[in-house]
Amino acid sequence: MKKFFQLLLRNRLAAAGGVAICFVVILALITPLLPLQAPNVTNTANRFQPVFAEGHLLGTDHLGRDMLSRLLWGTRLSLAVGFSAAIFAAFFGAAIGIVAGYFGGRTDNVIMRGVDMLMAFPYILLALAIVAALGPGLVNALIAVAAVNVPFFARNIRGVTVGIAHKEFVDAARLAGLSDTRIILTEILPNVVPVIVIAMSTTIGWMILETAGLSFLGLGSQPPQADLGSMLGEARSALITNPHTSVVPGVMILIIVMGINLLGDGVRDALDPRLRSGALTRPMAATVVQRKGAVPAPHAGGVLTMTDLETQFHVGPRIYKAVNKVSLNVAPGECLGVIGESGSGKSVTALSVMGLVASPPGVIVGGSIRYKDEELIGARYTTLRRFRGDRVAYIFQDPLATLHPLYKVGDQLVEAIRVHHPVSRAEAWKRAVELLKQVRIPNAENRASTYPHEMSGGMRQRVGIAMALANDPDVIIADEPTTALDVTVQAQILSLLDDLRRERGLAIVFITHDFGVVGQLCDRVAVMYAGRIVEEGPTDAVLAAPAHPYTRRLIACVPELGEGRRRLEAIPGLPPAVDRLEPGCAFAARCTKKEAACVTREIELARAGPRAVRCLYPETDLSREAAE
Amino acid sequence: MTQGILNWTRRGVLAAGAAMSLSLGAVAPAAAQTPPGVLIVGQIAEPKALDPAAVTAVNDFRILMNVYDGLVRYKSGTLEVEPALATGWEISEDGTVYTFKLREGVKFHDGSDFDAEAVKFNFDRMLNEDHPYHDTGPFPLAFFFSAVREVEVVDPLTVTFTLNAPYAPFLSNLAYPTGLIVSPAAVEQYGADFGRNPSGTGPFKFVEWRSNEAVVVEGNPDYWDGPTDLQAVVFRPITDANTRTAEMLAGGIDLMVEVPPVSLSEFQGDSFTVFEQAGPHVWFLILNAKEGPFAEKAVRQAANYAINKTALVDNVLEGTADVAAGPTPPAFAWAYNESLEPYPYDPDKAKALLAEAGMENPEVTFYVTEGGSGMLDPIAMGTAIQADLEAVGFDVTIETYEWNTFLGNVNPGLEGKADMAEMAWMTNDPDTLPYLALRTDAWPDKGGFNSGYYSNPEVDSLLEEARVATDQDKRAELYKKMQTIVQEDAPWVFVANWKQNAVTSDRVENFELQPSFFLLLKDVVKN
Amino acid sequence: MTGYILKRLVSAIPVLLGITVIVFLIMAMIPGDPATAILGSYATPENVEKLNRDLGLDQPLVARYFIWLGNMLTGDFGRSFALNRPVIDEVLDRFSATLVLAGTAFILCAVFGIIAGVVSAARQYGFADKAITFAVLLGISVPSFFLGMMMILIFAVKLRWLPVSGMFAIYGGGDLPDLLNHLIMPALALAVVATGVVARLSRSAMLEVLRQDFIRTARAKGVGERDVVWRHALKAAMVSIIPVLGIQAGFVLSGAVYIEMVFQWPGVGRMLVDAILKRDILLVQGGVVFVAACYVLFNIAVDVAQSLLDPRIKT
Repeated sequence: MKKFFQLLLRNRLAAAGGVAICFVVILALITPLLPLQAPNVTNTANRFQPVFAEGHLLGTDHLGRDMLSRLLWGTRLSLAVGFSAAIFAAFFGAAIGIVAGYFGGRTDNVIMRGVDMLMAFPYILLALAIVAALGPGLVNALIAVAAVNVPFFARNIRGVTVGIAHKEFVDAARLAGLSDTRIILTEILPNVVPVIVIAMSTTIGWMILETAGLSFLGLGSQPPQADLGSMLGEARSALITNPHTSVVPGVMILIIVMGINLLGDGVRDALDPRLRSGALTRPMAATVVQRKGAVPAPHAGGVLTMTDLETQFHVGPRIYKAVNKVSLNVAPGECLGVIGESGSGKSVTALSVMGLVASPPGVIVGGSIRYKDEELIGARYTTLRRFRGDRVAYIFQDPLATLHPLYKVGDQLVEAIRVHHPVSRAEAWKRAVELLKQVRIPNAENRASTYPHEMSGGMRQRVGIAMALANDPDVIIADEPTTALDVTVQAQILSLLDDLRRERGLAIVFITHDFGVVGQLCDRVAVMYAGRIVEEGPTDAVLAAPAHPYTRRLIACVPELGEGRRRLEAIPGLPPAVDRLEPGCAFAARCTKKEAACVTREIELARAGPRAVRCLYPETDLSREAAE
Repeated sequence: MTQGILNWTRRGVLAAGAAMSLSLGAVAPAAAQTPPGVLIVGQIAEPKALDPAAVTAVNDFRILMNVYDGLVRYKSGTLEVEPALATGWEISEDGTVYTFKLREGVKFHDGSDFDAEAVKFNFDRMLNEDHPYHDTGPFPLAFFFSAVREVEVVDPLTVTFTLNAPYAPFLSNLAYPTGLIVSPAAVEQYGADFGRNPSGTGPFKFVEWRSNEAVVVEGNPDYWDGPTDLQAVVFRPITDANTRTAEMLAGGIDLMVEVPPVSLSEFQGDSFTVFEQAGPHVWFLILNAKEGPFAEKAVRQAANYAINKTALVDNVLEGTADVAAGPTPPAFAWAYNESLEPYPYDPDKAKALLAEAGMENPEVTFYVTEGGSGMLDPIAMGTAIQADLEAVGFDVTIETYEWNTFLGNVNPGLEGKADMAEMAWMTNDPDTLPYLALRTDAWPDKGGFNSGYYSNPEVDSLLEEARVATDQDKRAELYKKMQTIVQEDAPWVFVANWKQNAVTSDRVENFELQPSFFLLLKDVVKN
Repeated sequence: MTGYILKRLVSAIPVLLGITVIVFLIMAMIPGDPATAILGSYATPENVEKLNRDLGLDQPLVARYFIWLGNMLTGDFGRSFALNRPVIDEVLDRFSATLVLAGTAFILCAVFGIIAGVVSAARQYGFADKAITFAVLLGISVPSFFLGMMMILIFAVKLRWLPVSGMFAIYGGGDLPDLLNHLIMPALALAVVATGVVARLSRSAMLEVLRQDFIRTARAKGVGERDVVWRHALKAAMVSIIPVLGIQAGFVLSGAVYIEMVFQWPGVGRMLVDAILKRDILLVQGGVVFVAACYVLFNIAVDVAQSLLDPRIKT
């Protein structure tokens, strides 16, 4: 709750709206206590006094009544009506929506058909007809406005309820023999309430406008009672001669509705869990670079070389050091594996290369990434764009999410080609089909015209690979490309990649959490933990004799073929949060070999021949191994 | 139907073009001025029909009077009848047979002849349920001629009306729009659609009626009373008073009737001329004399004293009305009782009367309408009246209704529903209003409009007597006596007599308003 | 696809039947009768009763409903009491005018709302975003009739740039420039609120989409930012924008009532308000059924558009 208000106040616009609304509401509440003139006493000789007239701060209306007094009393009434209409509509709408959504089937069908009917009826006419049937008066106008909004609430809440009604905890409650009423009240309702509150907060303003609209049509409050709508309606005939009589209530409506809308947006944003985490921000075209120090010299050669790369996530006051001084390199025809648990920073490292880390919150704060001789960190966007997909291509995990769902795969390939090469569409299409054949998609001509959702997971990933190959790149960065696939498909994809690398002399950076995959494909492997490289070396050597305790544990996670049961040795504990790293070894907390020295100072990555390890007490003595 | 579809296609094509141009940000040319010779009139509402026998609203009459003629008409600037389609008439000694000589050579706009048969057709259609075209009705004002027993064709240019009893307002009623003569040939041709395809003998011919946009009429070059200089008149319904004012200010219309009082100040400059003309109109409050506080005469009088009518007409209505003294408007000069003084504004007297009646704080329900024929800013008036009444101790609850609902509530009588209701009447004869709304026999259950159940046998007999008297002086005397009694009895609160107003732009000449509230445009010039 | 459209059309039938029942019942519930409206100030209870009998309003409710429904199915919507004209003629006349107004406003709100939303999302927290967000907020907080009145006051009366009201110049005119001239203010006044709603929704839909993995894929391919936003992201965002456009069409159609009153637009909304007030039963019933049917058809069209856009929807 405290968090909610903090978030609300952090949103400056919402806070302004909240303040405006509070001010208006307080003013409305204390109106009876204020030394105002009687709102309904007429003095026709004194009519149409201008704003700031003596004795009448806001002037007088067409019957000589004090505008200020009527404005405040009118605001009081309009607010009350707006709020009550919203509550009525929300209550009945939510009740109908929950019943329809919870029971589903025929009940749902019948109710939603009814809602459809009401929504097809122009709502102002419905309101008008209701008022005509009930007779004039503000209460009836309120009923009408509330009634016409019930279908909107019902539809909205039903959608949410349907989602919840099929969740496990509801099924569990059903199995436990709870009555439907109990389930609705104790399981469904609490989950729907935030949605109702959001819908209501955004509706109140609308309600006030609609009630004003009905009053404008002469169907609102009865004279002499003032509400903002009827003030506007009555003043309308004098709009040209005495505009202030309409502008005053008009502006008040504007202030209230704007305030409510601002506040409502704030409430919605504050209640939205994604916004809390800052996840609803739009990633920019390239990751923001805020380099602190100088550009380090490349630590090694190769077609792609990263040196002391530092990528962070800045979320509010927190700084997550996702990639902490990582240096890697890959040569043409070589396959480098980068392995680690999720959250170890391996994907961020990969995405940093072409500036694809979502920004905000991602920021590259230091290091160097070189493609051949070109520095990529801090390069102009046009340079980055020129390399993206052309020289350095990506293959992502979960191709269902990474392929555009609404374009045919052929078109997505065509685009990849035509972004970099000025060829005709037909030619590009031919090339696309060619690519699909190269990744061994059967019946490629036809498959090019299908949508991603019409393909199997393996096929989709082949499309992803084809797309990466489209422009014959020098480097392919494959970010867990096989994680979502089953084992046989995985094997096919890996052998495909392996073939391609040999045929074309591709450099591959292969990101994974699975040593089994690394073993099949990679020449070298780098192990990441908490944003750092903890071990690096030729795959065979590392697999045969891991030096870092973490590496050893990771290898132990791989199921051995031929064993009757898979013996998966999970690593106890969780990786540390990278926003508050302790000095020393980040793995120390989970390490069985932890000593006091492990957590007192920074531990260097100790190199010995082709291998390196960041551990004071390695499992294998690398210097001795190197000497041998 | 076919026309509808054609229209649709045209609009569809235009719509597509419009939507595209607006989306692409195309700029439209500036507004064009209204052409000379074409008078654009801002009307307050869409007409209901252009069949004079079928309509009741002054708004519709404004068009009809220019398309049709009656047998007789009001002399310009008065409420006295003069010959029109009839060149002269004779009344029998006993006042029951009227013989009209008809004008020769007059033709309807559709080319058919105007003659005695046409006259007979018109009245039979309205009055005779067996007439083959009676179903082109209903004819709500047919009761204006309920005294007519028979219409006979003597020869093509002579027609006689036989009444079942002497009926003094007969000639005046013939001059009313209900008495306008329509083309029988057109009625036969269009049947129930005649109201949209009118044909008369008047100075303007009907051209077209575009739903809610305009009724267009053009000058009739063969008009028997000399053709008009105007090429055409366009009647535009603009229901929103504010928009109507804006159109007038912006030059979109040349002539505007029923200017809202608050807008009058906008038209003070040289480019506009404001016209004003008192007419036979009374704005009053019906008091429920059958039950509740107003059953007491003292309370009814108290209400009359409590309301500051001068402030209402001067301020709320910005001087567009005069304070009413009694049930008969001064516009009926010959029948109006000059010696009547309006109830003065005297809240103390009102309080005293309430105390005398033993009701310091009577609770009353007050029906107010949102607008309607002759109702003059009824919500503002009602609110101001409410404030005045509350100032002397009344406890007033207002209920507002849109005009048709309002009439549906008021006309069947106020009993059991309300104590007080706004009402206004515009009539053509001093007989009409009191006869229909003040007699005991005019209580709602007897088919009249006496919704407040006022009953005074003396008033009843005066009204019956005046109706059959053929001598105008005799009638005048009876009406004056009636006014004195009614004012004293106070079955109504007499509030205002409206002075009809209109504004013309400086391009309009020769315009004048008529006390009959009709809009006669034949002699108007538009530069 | 044809099968899908047919299926949707068939499923619309019960909705439309339900609407006929609702509108019929509402009109039956409203006190007062058309006779008062026809007879005007001179409606005596006696005349009213006679006229109601002539109009067939003394028959039992159920019988009246089925007679009306039966006639309507044969294309006979009856005659308007108050206008003395076949209902269908009046409705077609007036609906075409509303279609021009609401259609233009709808296109405006869709085009500008989406553009504003996309720009706002693409420049999140930038100046354009803040300016658009504020303008949108202002737009959805102003009563449209108030806005319309102010526009008349400023642009027609004071500046005399545009005609005050009506659909065509009242004498002469009738061509496209003339229509445009009359259309600008009412279409804008009507479009403002809907534009705001569409802009808000497009913005959040775009923000949602821009975080998606396939946007990263597009960028990784080297697609330019303009194409990323306007092609990749917008196309995916349209999936959630289109249903909102469908709902907004209903709002625009309803909101047209106020605008038609303020600008004297000869549309169906104003006609229906008048008809309800005058208890012109057959006109209200016929008009509402017609409008609702169009709305239902439009929504089917929206769903079809949606399914054309999104191949994942099963048709």
